[in-house]
Amino acid sequence: MILPYALRLVCLCLATFFLVHLALGLAAWFLTPAAIRLARRLRARAAARLLLALRLFPATASGLLVAGVCVPSYLWLEPRTAAEEVSLASIAAALAAGAFWAISMARAFRAAARSMRYVRRCQRLGRRTQLPGEISPVWLLEDAPAILVLAGILHPRILVSRAVIAALSTEQLAAALRHERAHRFSRDNLKRLFLLLAPEFFPLSRRGAALERAWSKYAEWAADDSAVAGDSFRSLSLAAALVKVARLGPVPRWSPLVTCLLNDGDLPARVERLLRGVPPGGSSAPRTPVVAVSATIAVLAPAVAMMFRPETLHTAHQLFEQLMH
Amino acid sequence: MRSLRIAARNGYAKILIEQGPDMRFLKHRFAGSNPASPASLGPLEIAVMELLWEQGEASVHDVVGKLARPLAYTTVMTTLDRLFKKGLLDRRKAERAFVYSPRLSRREWEHKRTGDFVAGFLAAPQTSGELLISCLVEAVGQQDEALLDELERKIRLKRKELYRRGKA
Repeated sequence: MILPYALRLVCLCLATFFLVHLALGLAAWFLTPAAIRLARRLRARAAARLLLALRLFPATASGLLVAGVCVPSYLWLEPRTAAEEVSLASIAAALAAGAFWAISMARAFRAAARSMRYVRRCQRLGRRTQLPGEISPVWLLEDAPAILVLAGILHPRILVSRAVIAALSTEQLAAALRHERAHRFSRDNLKRLFLLLAPEFFPLSRRGAALERAWSKYAEWAADDSAVAGDSFRSLSLAAALVKVARLGPVPRWSPLVTCLLNDGDLPARVERLLRGVPPGGSSAPRTPVVAVSATIAVLAPAVAMMFRPETLHTAHQLFEQLMH
Repeated sequence: MRSLRIAARNGYAKILIEQGPDMRFLKHRFAGSNPASPASLGPLEIAVMELLWEQGEASVHDVVGKLARPLAYTTVMTTLDRLFKKGLLDRRKAERAFVYSPRLSRREWEHKRTGDFVAGFLAAPQTSGELLISCLVEAVGQQDEALLDELERKIRLKRKELYRRGKA
């Protein structure tokens, strides 16, 4: 098929994304069971980070490669001539990548829209208030069913109904609110959005979904750890709060981007864990992960330098030419 | 008061629903449309399937030797052949004898059995579907309550332990 310059660039980007994502997705697919096994031996926060990184790795790395190598080499080295022939295989790969992205983006936008609608509705029905002894305000819903959730993506808000406040003691409510604040501090709703945006490893694979479920569990555990900060009485209060909220009845899941106090089916494991005594959680004060940032810079800086060398771009361009024709 | 009873006999699952003063009898033959339907298995067939899930594969001779009660070779051979025809077993020829292996894992079989039961039930008039869902919700609710009671008991014990330790 003959395509003009700009469409060839789009086709090249999508086809490259498809192929690289397929290869990296296959690697991630093989690594998933081992990562889930390894996560059991790590602390909850480290386990959640590992699983999230593995789930997002294929899409992120493929996107970076397309943006960092594919686009510059094409713009720099491809002559702006008239239309050129593009192979059907490349077009098929580009269409497949386009379809994956369309599905993921539709899923993410739908969830984000539902989340925003839900927040707006709660803000209309509720009022912003400062509960006694609490450091940050919450949105109080007077007539709503029993809910204690964190809703919103960039500026998440804690929404709590009068029924929950009435059911919990002061310590239990404080523990439950600390749990939700830990989710807000970890930006878990934003991470959920990224998970929705990342396409599955490859068509018909379910391991990406399994990784997301495992991440969700460890994210809850990490928030529990932060909320109790190694204190046995706080652990007890949080465990009691979980059971009391569960007794108030099931809470409908409005959107995957709304974090509820109770995750699906994880209650017994969480309560048992809290009663066993959880390890001290991370501090809620902002801290700079110096080691992680340094390691990322140490790995990325040479890679970026290599990427922008003329020889690298020439080689990449030759490869892309073979891919396209 | 609504109740639900299920009786299995001769490859039939007979479902008796009592709902208030009405009494409905639904007779659903699971084995009819689907030859691999697990609900149609008899006790000997289930025993043979259990053995094959454990062993992986076995010949007629192996199965005869491992069954809990002594049975004639031809009886076991017929049973294995029937299971093969129902689509539950695969077979290959090894030294003039067939070696049988399960086509479905135990989990797949249980999943299919439950699926067939629910599908059969829901295919009946609307009230049956509603009744099944209401029974399931009730059963899950009772289990949830029991679970929450148990968790609360553990929390109380832990609280006592912590206060005892605090005083000491």
